Amino acid sequence: MVSVINTVDTSHEDMIHDAQMDYYGTRLATCSSDRSVKIFDVRNGGQILIADLRGHEGPVWQVAWAHPMYGNILASCSYDRKVIIWREENGTWEKSHEHAGHDSSVNSVCWAPHDYGLILACGSSDGAISLLTYTGEGQWEVKKINNAHTIGCNAVSWAPAVVPGSLIDQPSGQKPNYIKRFASGGCDNLIKLWKEEEDGQWKEEQKLEAHSDWVRDVAWAPSIGLPTSTIASCSQDGRVFIWTCDDASSNTWSPKLLHKFNDVVWHVSWSITANILAVSGGDNKVTLWKESVDGQWVCISDVNKGQGSVSASVTEGQQNEQ
Amino acid sequence: GKELDGEPTVTVRAVNSRKNQMCFDWGPGRLLVSNEPPSNKKEMCSCPFIYIIRKDVDVYSQILRTNSSMNPMNLSGVPSFVALQDVSGLILCVISFFCRLVRVSKNYRSVIRACMEECTSVSILSAMELIWNLCEILFIEVAPAGPLLLHLLDWVRLHVCEVDSLSADVLGSENPSKHDSFWNLVTILVLQGRLDEARQMLSKEADASPASAGICRIMGDLMRTMPILSPGNTQTLTELELKWQHWHEECERYLQDSTFATSPHLESLLKIMLGDEAALLEQKELLSNWYHFLVTRLLYSNPTVKPIDLHYYAQSSLDLFLGGESSPEPLDNILLAAFEFDIHQVIKECSIALSNWWFVAHLTDLLDHCKLLQSHNLYFGSNMREFLLLEYASGLFAHPSLWQLGVDYFDYCPELGRVSLELHIERIPLNTEQKALKVLRVCEQRQMTEQVRSICKILAMKAVRNNRLGSALSWSIRAKDAAFATLVSDRFLRDYCERGCFSDLDLIDNLGPAMMLSDRLTFLGKYREFHRMYGEKRFADAASLLLSLMTSRIAPRSFWMTLLTDALPLLEQKQVIFSAEQTYELMRCLEDLTSRRPVHGESDTEQLQDDDIETTKVEMLRLSLARNLARAIIREGSLEGS
Repeated sequence: MVSVINTVDTSHEDMIHDAQMDYYGTRLATCSSDRSVKIFDVRNGGQILIADLRGHEGPVWQVAWAHPMYGNILASCSYDRKVIIWREENGTWEKSHEHAGHDSSVNSVCWAPHDYGLILACGSSDGAISLLTYTGEGQWEVKKINNAHTIGCNAVSWAPAVVPGSLIDQPSGQKPNYIKRFASGGCDNLIKLWKEEEDGQWKEEQKLEAHSDWVRDVAWAPSIGLPTSTIASCSQDGRVFIWTCDDASSNTWSPKLLHKFNDVVWHVSWSITANILAVSGGDNKVTLWKESVDGQWVCISDVNKGQGSVSASVTEGQQNEQ
Repeated sequence: GKELDGEPTVTVRAVNSRKNQMCFDWGPGRLLVSNEPPSNKKEMCSCPFIYIIRKDVDVYSQILRTNSSMNPMNLSGVPSFVALQDVSGLILCVISFFCRLVRVSKNYRSVIRACMEECTSVSILSAMELIWNLCEILFIEVAPAGPLLLHLLDWVRLHVCEVDSLSADVLGSENPSKHDSFWNLVTILVLQGRLDEARQMLSKEADASPASAGICRIMGDLMRTMPILSPGNTQTLTELELKWQHWHEECERYLQDSTFATSPHLESLLKIMLGDEAALLEQKELLSNWYHFLVTRLLYSNPTVKPIDLHYYAQSSLDLFLGGESSPEPLDNILLAAFEFDIHQVIKECSIALSNWWFVAHLTDLLDHCKLLQSHNLYFGSNMREFLLLEYASGLFAHPSLWQLGVDYFDYCPELGRVSLELHIERIPLNTEQKALKVLRVCEQRQMTEQVRSICKILAMKAVRNNRLGSALSWSIRAKDAAFATLVSDRFLRDYCERGCFSDLDLIDNLGPAMMLSDRLTFLGKYREFHRMYGEKRFADAASLLLSLMTSRIAPRSFWMTLLTDALPLLEQKQVIFSAEQTYELMRCLEDLTSRRPVHGESDTEQLQDDDIETTKVEMLRLSLARNLARAIIREGSLEGS
């Protein structure tokens, strides 16, 4: 059902911490403990090194591609407490901006939905979350949420852009009133939901408690037009939770345990249409999960059963119904 | 290490490290994972490899890519798919509807067969056709008792093809009846119910060995007289059963009388024709599979079998044939499920066993149109049909050249098709202008305005970065993006100031109503119009326009000096162009400009230099304006006077 279509030899000299495809799947950015960020062109099964970016002074933890309408922009964050924004101009990649506003390792970066403009959220081990907004002419405005999580913040993830009320065509030049939200996960075992108020300040809207150890990653699922919102979280405690909120205004989030792994779970990620969740298991496997008919989350890439098809999980659910 | 066994799962392992992350990411339709280093390095060390993984699309996507001369639509089954959706939408009488469904089903099967000719993985395709054919017989044609067996015979004959090569061998030889495989051939023909051909073979044997001519003829007669249901036959099922019973008893008598005792071959054939299980099982090798065994068994023991009884025979046939020596394979389970009329099980097993979505998506869709699927509410797709089609279509989008096929499928998924298309279409790489236009057309046809806007913005941005301002402007206009249009217009104006001429005149001259998108764009258009008018010596019009650009505030302040400087040649003309009133206005503008000139952080020396230049310009303008005012007043005064 799946096949490897490309093997990229990144030639990183140390552990790779993150690898991200760009919007179109044509470029790959990787970052490593060797302090470098590399960009490859991976079209047609090839690999061409486009850039080897040096600038960080410590292991680089994450990279994130901005939406292509802003150009070719990549953000990276590192143990060296810095966030660097790289930009491609005239065919070469250069450092465009450096943000050094944190007192400790910056663990996670995430670009906001393009509808909001060019905004980057950064989560740091100093417990703060900073939001960088591009205001033009090479200028970035910084907003900082101090003490977002005690001990440290490990992950940030934006909610998909949803315009409140009906989506009527706005007169040209006028921006719709988006309600900006993002989720963060921290060493206080909490997931927090943040909302931008009318005055531009960020306020903690919700605390989601269910984990018993550091939250390692949060991922807000893309919107498929249904009124529910979904967030996946994973933790040092080996658990992965799926949080759902049925109505934007009701604000009650209910967790469902996806699975308890035997070891720390590092990473969760949604597919584009949010129908599959990929989980980096503590047992060092990537497993794929899907929600079946009866609302149970089923692993669809179970090695033991040798079943890899998606509908296996769905029809299992049906089988139960019959 | 990594395990890619050709099994439908991928397990990728990571090395323990301080920050243990097994990193991965979803790309459009792809998943990437980072792998562990070669196992011969025991220390924690670099793992520099990244694997990009994708769900397999169709078995023949390879063909679609390499054989562009072949019409890809035919091979994909899309016309059949679309035709089917349309057929269901029409109001047809029941018979006609089902005829069309059968035709669509046959179309799909021909698609599969066409691929078999091109593809290397024939066995999978052959299995697909086998299953589809059976489903067509049981679920779509819904053959009743009587015709059912005939269909099943056809089915077996189509898929167990060794007969033809064997036949060619034997008949091609000098002495067919003495050929090693002669009796094998006759037996196979009997097993497949091809009794006429078997009789012909026997007559050759009769000719060659007169000693056995007698019994050959008797056997031949038996073969000829076996009652079968034939099209156009007016007998009822009951009549057929009766006749068949008599014939069966006649065969039985021959067995009791040991008529064929002298020929073990013929005796064996007789037992087969009596439906003797043991005799049939002796021919395992010739039967080659249990479903052949099943059909032969039915032919010679219960030719008027009812569909609902099929599964009893199917299960026992499978068990008898395997004889406890081996276990059923996935294909066997699928066929069993079909004989049990358990459609859901068929789909489930097919999804697991067949390595592609094409089959289950299209078959399920077809069955859904036959209203055979119960509607189950799934989160992703309102029913199984939509669910599978969404999966199939998503897979197509993961391939750079197959996305257009995917669009059709999303179109026919009423629940989540549209939003899925919206999410996928934005991720198509826009390598060429042509491709971008294709993608945009798809979006525009479906009123996906957000996606149009987003794509146009991306293209506009790219154009600006490559200094193709005209292109950037067109894309901004198409995106209805006022802010960007302003940005690009500013660039145009800046370019003009630097070089003294406009680029992309065609575009600016023909903006039309699009000019209204943003004030800056309007200004750009009007300013160009001013230049045109001047070029055409329509000085009065040009003058009015120039003035209005300032008074209406359409012109940005930063540009006023340029505009006023543009007015100079008009002021210096022999004839008076600007009226007195207009001249007063111009003066007001000039004073307005000079009184409130902000200084933007320029260095002192620059400021001084600028001041010098500016002062000179302003002086010149004041002088020009004053002179014009005088002339205008005189002219207007004298006109009034006369």
